[in-house]
Amino acid sequence: MAFPTITGPISEAGSGIFPILVFVQGNDQRTINLDHSPFSVGRKVDKDLVIADPRVSRDHALIVSENGQFCVIDQSSKHGTFVNGERVQRKTLERNDRLEFGVRDVAYVIFHPHHASSNSARDFLSQISGIHISTETTDLEKLTLFLEAARKLNTIGVLDEILVTLLDATLNLTRAERGYVFLKAEDGKLRLAAGRNSKGEPLLDDKTISHSILEDARKSNSEFVITDTSQSLDLAGRHSIVAYDLRTVICIPLRKPQVQTTRDAQGASPLEMSAEVMGALYVDSRFASRDLSSVSNDILRAIAHEAASLVENARLVQAEEAARRYQQELAIAASIQQRLMTVTIPEVPFARLNGRNLSCKEIGGDFYDAVNTEDGLTVVLADVSGKGVSAALLASTLQGMIFSQLTARMPLPEIVAAVNRFFTHKHIGEKYATVIIARIRSDGELEYVNCGHVPPLLVCNHEVIRPSHGNLPVGLLADATYESDHYNMHPGDRLVLVTDGVTEAENARGDFFDNERLEAVAAKSGTLEDIFSAVANFCGGTPLSDDCTVVELLYTG
Amino acid sequence: MNLKIETRVTDGVTIVSCHGRIMFGEEATELRETLKRLLASTRQIVLNLSGVTYIDSGGLGTLVGVYSSARSGGADVKLTGLGQRLRDVLQVTKLVTVFEVYDTEQQAIAAFRRGAA
Repeated sequence: MAFPTITGPISEAGSGIFPILVFVQGNDQRTINLDHSPFSVGRKVDKDLVIADPRVSRDHALIVSENGQFCVIDQSSKHGTFVNGERVQRKTLERNDRLEFGVRDVAYVIFHPHHASSNSARDFLSQISGIHISTETTDLEKLTLFLEAARKLNTIGVLDEILVTLLDATLNLTRAERGYVFLKAEDGKLRLAAGRNSKGEPLLDDKTISHSILEDARKSNSEFVITDTSQSLDLAGRHSIVAYDLRTVICIPLRKPQVQTTRDAQGASPLEMSAEVMGALYVDSRFASRDLSSVSNDILRAIAHEAASLVENARLVQAEEAARRYQQELAIAASIQQRLMTVTIPEVPFARLNGRNLSCKEIGGDFYDAVNTEDGLTVVLADVSGKGVSAALLASTLQGMIFSQLTARMPLPEIVAAVNRFFTHKHIGEKYATVIIARIRSDGELEYVNCGHVPPLLVCNHEVIRPSHGNLPVGLLADATYESDHYNMHPGDRLVLVTDGVTEAENARGDFFDNERLEAVAAKSGTLEDIFSAVANFCGGTPLSDDCTVVELLYTG
Repeated sequence: MNLKIETRVTDGVTIVSCHGRIMFGEEATELRETLKRLLASTRQIVLNLSGVTYIDSGGLGTLVGVYSSARSGGADVKLTGLGQRLRDVLQVTKLVTVFEVYDTEQQAIAAFRRGAA
């Protein structure tokens, strides 16, 4: 296990998990995984890197890992150790450093650290594998310790690396030829998660694995299943066993470690045996090779127990990572939303515009915008269905499309028709948006197009008008047509636009704030704050389930 | 999951009754998958929504999505049992012009009969 793996060109070397040494001697070049520490260099044949040249000392140098970095240490060699042409006693290695040991130019080593920053668990494992751990500790117990440490480092991709390490340890303990870990996928079927042979090479799922034995093991209540095909006649018909000379198969179901519950009146129920199967560990050997049936049951039991908790722990680490990414996604959505809601309101002599948004806990798809052109001051309010990143992205696209068409002075119905065509053409799932675009001209003429949005409120002398004119939302039906409506505003008249987060704000009893309350507060007051505080009073302590956006346009004449 | 879906066949028409809330997420997905499964074997579906207490924007999107894909597949989904809130929503969104809505299940079934005749 301590010998370096020698492979072909760099591009094919290893999994990218370990740092690589490229050893060049004359016309030969080979890559070596720096998979343990210390890594020895010298003329003696037991060195990890043997350079057969009289100028190289028998114990020439060591490459050791220290605090996540690699360092070359000269072992009092006669002709010296050189890094980039400079003789060194001890030096921390950096990417593409050229190392020479005694011989100059004839043979050298180039150091390639694993991907710039080493944040892989396996890398970490390899780095700390030099640490002395009590010899009483089993390999698997060591792994558990490493996993704990790796978990603290908040590493990514832990599961895969743990599985590979687990397989290597299992193959080492059982002396089997091939090992595979299968994990239960969402559909309940077992899928290959990792495969290794005893030479440490990766293996893929193939027909030579006895899936029938795998299934038997999954369904059985035993801790492990050993199948010696030479002694079970009923197995003779099983395809892979016949075809590939499988001699011994050991299959260990991985069961979710159960928290010890208090025993009920029925006494010790076979709780452990009924525990959920997360996957299976499978090792086998062929006829021609060794017999696995001599493997001690204690070892298999130990593997069964430790492997399951390893996999479970690794899964927990992954779940933590997923949760962290989800948080990141939410942060991205929140920043998109923030930008959408940052509106520079144009100053015009004939009208005043105000808008405000109150975001609920989850990120929604509300936005508003305002554009001033020669045609007048235009305000846009939209609510994209759904929540989260997808809604925020769609809202952002929608805002961009509408903005550019408004500045191009396209007629309002054509703008929403174009947006509808775009959304339905792209088949954006069942996502759609309700949109209202309203334009006020300096002479007081109001044109608006309502696409499935809460009807606007026109407040004239404390009287509220709710024009019911409207169209289908955008993004639902490709053949929808859109029309606008007109209204003449007089100085002092107000147009109030809201999203349904306002009308559907709920109180503890499950009642909606609704249109009547909205109209009442809009009629008697002129500020957005009044509307928001009326909603807040109504809801009491009940948190909002949707974003609330209110935009108010006052025509001053 | 806040949605319960029951399916039965009356006079050759598949009646799908929904109880609970149709919300963006697992409820909407459940409804979509159920209808998709049914549309593989039937072309006439009445969706009875009388047990639906709330439908959000995502749920509405699902309804329209199911309706459109049924239509494009030569099938038809008629709605019945709409509460006041859902009627309001369909009114505001003008989707009332898209869906065929009937007051009772019998009327919706009869409409299929007439269509077939």
